[in-house]
Amino acid sequence: MAEENKTYEYLPENYEEEILKSRKKSKTGRESAGGQKLNINSLMDILTIMLVFLLKSYATDPVNITPGPDLDIPKSTSLLQPAATVTVTVAKSSIVVDNEPVTVVKDGKVEASQKRGGEDAYFIIPLNKALVEAVEKKRRLEAINPTVKFDGVATIVMDKETPYRLLTEVMYTAGQAEFSNFKFATISTAG
Amino acid sequence: MGKRRSQGSGQDLDMTAAMNLILILIPLLLTSMESVKIAVVNVATPQIGPSSEANPPADRPDDKPLKLTVALTDRGITVFVRDQVIENKDDPLGPTILKIDGQEEDAEGKMVDAKVYDIDKLVEIISDLKDANPAEENIIITAEPNTKYKYIMKIMDATREKKDGEKKKTLFPNVVLSAGIA
Repeated sequence: MAEENKTYEYLPENYEEEILKSRKKSKTGRESAGGQKLNINSLMDILTIMLVFLLKSYATDPVNITPGPDLDIPKSTSLLQPAATVTVTVAKSSIVVDNEPVTVVKDGKVEASQKRGGEDAYFIIPLNKALVEAVEKKRRLEAINPTVKFDGVATIVMDKETPYRLLTEVMYTAGQAEFSNFKFATISTAG
Repeated sequence: MGKRRSQGSGQDLDMTAAMNLILILIPLLLTSMESVKIAVVNVATPQIGPSSEANPPADRPDDKPLKLTVALTDRGITVFVRDQVIENKDDPLGPTILKIDGQEEDAEGKMVDAKVYDIDKLVEIISDLKDANPAEENIIITAEPNTKYKYIMKIMDATREKKDGEKKKTLFPNVVLSAGIA
């Protein structure tokens, strides 16, 4: 910079030549450094907007379901939005409460030893324990934060091959843990 | 030289690290973003739980409730209204709607020939019931213990609303799942 200013200040007789020379120089310089000096401003704009958008859509989903071979949820024409509640997931191989596995499912059945009263019982002991804990957690939150309300609603995410019997067992057990209404998560085919 | 570069650094921020971060984050978020939209279906407690007995639904009308019940069995769908079976004229002892020949997905997602529930006929019957009882919104769904969850969902979809071209007719959106048929 200082050198260039000098050139302009004194304006030597061959200044035009000098300027041309320096321009040429700078051009060749730019070419050699071209890999580094790419203008990525607009690209950065696009990427930043995309990033913010993706983060936003990622954070607002209250129910996070990862379908796979173990969990294939049915389709429905329902338009109701999922809400942030306690989630009970019944996959082909396990029952999960809020991402914590509680018991094993085999051939659409929970083992008799896991139920209170044997084979024909409805009450799944570990599931009830996990749900009661979840309710207690919500109640503690409710005591501190008045905007949190425990309304006895649970979201049930269930594999579509699950027999009705297991569904009633899960609903009965949840009913014993103060849940009275359920939201069945489905893949929306509407719209 | 070094001086010059530091002076011009206001313009040429080194974005390499930020770009790396963003370029990794975007594919990560894109792949983790669900391509499917999740919806929910509201269901009330089955009547086997004590909570539903303790708090009967407030909107249950006192005058002769319709008590519309749809039961799924392996032979077909039986519809009860006010504890009376809607009889099938061809088969008075069988279910209201017999299963028909059709196609359905098997465990691997392939379409195979199978006996399927006659949803269209069910919608027809339910729709007529709705016309006769426009204020009623409750439906009880029950099934045999080995009935698969996907059929329950299908029945819930069919009895929630009816699409008549552009028009949508709400049928019975308040579902109560009842204990299984022994």
